[in-house]
Amino acid sequence: MTKSRGLVSRRQFARTVAQAGALAVAPMIVPSSVLGQRAGAVPPSDRIVFGGIGIGNRGMSSVACILSYKDARMVAVADVRNERRELVKSTVDKRYQNSDCKMYSSHEELLDRDDIDGVLIATGDRWHTPMSILAAKAGKHIYCEKPCSMTIQESQALAEAVRRYGIVYQAGCQRRNGKNFVFAMELARGGKLGKLQTLHCNAGTGTQWPPITTHDWLPAEPEPAKEVVDWDRWLGPSPWRPYNPLYVQGRWRGYFDFHGGGILEWGSHTADLCQYVNDADNTQPVEYEPKGENTTPYFIYCRYANGVKLVHRDSGWLGLGTCSVRFEGDNGWVETGDTGKIEVSENLKSELPPPEQGDAFNLTLHYHWRDFVECIKTRSQARSHATAAANTHIGCHAAYIAYLLGRKLTWDPAKQEFVNDAEANRMRSRELRPPWRLV
Amino acid sequence: MTQATQETVPPAKKRGGGQRPAAATVPPEFQAEKIMKLDSPELVQILKDPAATVFQKDKACMRLAMVGTKDAVPALAAMLSDPQFSHYARFGLAPIPDPSVDDALRGVLKTLKGKLLVGVIDSIGQRKDAKSVEPLAKMMYDADAEVAQAATAALGLISGPQATEALQDGLAKTKGSMRTAVAAAGLVCAEGLMAQGDRKGALALYDVLSRAGIPKTVRLAAMHSTIAAETALGRPR
Repeated sequence: MTKSRGLVSRRQFARTVAQAGALAVAPMIVPSSVLGQRAGAVPPSDRIVFGGIGIGNRGMSSVACILSYKDARMVAVADVRNERRELVKSTVDKRYQNSDCKMYSSHEELLDRDDIDGVLIATGDRWHTPMSILAAKAGKHIYCEKPCSMTIQESQALAEAVRRYGIVYQAGCQRRNGKNFVFAMELARGGKLGKLQTLHCNAGTGTQWPPITTHDWLPAEPEPAKEVVDWDRWLGPSPWRPYNPLYVQGRWRGYFDFHGGGILEWGSHTADLCQYVNDADNTQPVEYEPKGENTTPYFIYCRYANGVKLVHRDSGWLGLGTCSVRFEGDNGWVETGDTGKIEVSENLKSELPPPEQGDAFNLTLHYHWRDFVECIKTRSQARSHATAAANTHIGCHAAYIAYLLGRKLTWDPAKQEFVNDAEANRMRSRELRPPWRLV
Repeated sequence: MTQATQETVPPAKKRGGGQRPAAATVPPEFQAEKIMKLDSPELVQILKDPAATVFQKDKACMRLAMVGTKDAVPALAAMLSDPQFSHYARFGLAPIPDPSVDDALRGVLKTLKGKLLVGVIDSIGQRKDAKSVEPLAKMMYDADAEVAQAATAALGLISGPQATEALQDGLAKTKGSMRTAVAAAGLVCAEGLMAQGDRKGALALYDVLSRAGIPKTVRLAAMHSTIAAETALGRPR
């Protein structure tokens, strides 16, 4: 497990210096809000300063979280698309009633800024790991949307970089902080279900995100000016292919170069919860057996070394919402999903909490973001820390490879390799397009 | 889900990865399914075919990444110097578990420039080709900053005493962002030493990276790694 470090943060240092400085230069006239003396005000030195990289629709939800906090400040955006840069800037400036949010077409300029503590990485999946590693090297705390990696090797490199540089990392696996999901997980971890038998995780619906991605290309169309869309940087570490506006408009999912299919799309959320329930944040399942169609229904039956089973499946749920999970023990079961509703076996009905008021998914996002901000302030480990995220993703990539190869695979978590399957082992990594790399 | 559901689904079958998302309009010339089912010799034929399209060569390389044999190495290596195909070639070459791949990558170090060279160096680093340490150590001082940084990163990944020495030399001879890159590679190198069982060498390198003048992020990381290594043993050095 990644442990947080007891480093002196820039904020702590700034506080110490500010206290010393206040004695040396007093009297000095400063606004009371700067000193945090007005009720509810937060002095700038206690605010976590964020920049955003690659902000699409998903990212804007996270930006809204940042903008809602008094102890956080959004100051910059880097994006290869001009319209997204401008949208983020206008949103941020409107909230703060100024024009201070800086726009960059390259992430390097944003990561070079010393005043930025943390970054929101909401690019497409292809960029998640390389960008996270660049941010870690720059000493930035990271909130990165999921899926966090494109391969098993990227997952490993991500966890290593975050551990190496001791930054706070939160994967965008928000459900780890969703109250209904936390209830279900704690019910299982607390022994109320008895001995755990089978954990079920909702894979992305096959009709929307087939389990296996395609190698096709969309038709070539004229590239826009670099200032409008920097196609080379949009592709980033992925193999070159001709421009088509659909990719940039969000239709990049489903393509091998950019996406992990339905297994990664939702497994990064739901298998992640199963990992936690099985106390398996530091490991992965050891067996993966695929069954099903190219679209739906599809299943990957997995088994952990402790005997607990994990089933990725896109269908057969109770209808409690997207990203459902179901945990079964020898004394009962619990199932929940994005509606916030929870179903349990008859013997556990008395354990059910009162329903949460409000939109369950939005609340989950806010809890997750708040967890991240608090962890930056206290230098503690976030709920979706990099090691947990990496191990979840390794398991999901292994499930994808098993499904693609159409055969049962055995995985050795200690050696991080498939047992006696050279073809599967060759799929653990991909070469990145230069100059992007994983160190 | 019920057991009955499990039994009603079809058995596993091998898939080429060519299925495309529903509703996507893909012209026939950009459909990959057939190529993604070919074996190594047929794929090599595509690479050698002057009439093959960029798309066909891209997909042939991707498929070779999964099934390519030693026999595919010369055809892939021949593409390393082509700006259009160099990355595709590396994509196909790097996963092939044969030493001829290392020979091929090392063989073009002196002839390539710019991003093509950067890519090849990255592949060498990922494959941890110890025979490349000497040329890479020289490339740390290349006038092209991207080449120099790639060589530095590769040395960190390869690790070992020779790479350690090269990186320590680099710390003394570089400055600015290049020195930061050397120091960062030093961290990776030290982790490699530790993984290889060279605890003494790793701690010595962490010590160098903890000194004043080393970029702050690396310095703090090195200090932490030293503490973690010491704590792991449960006794002071």
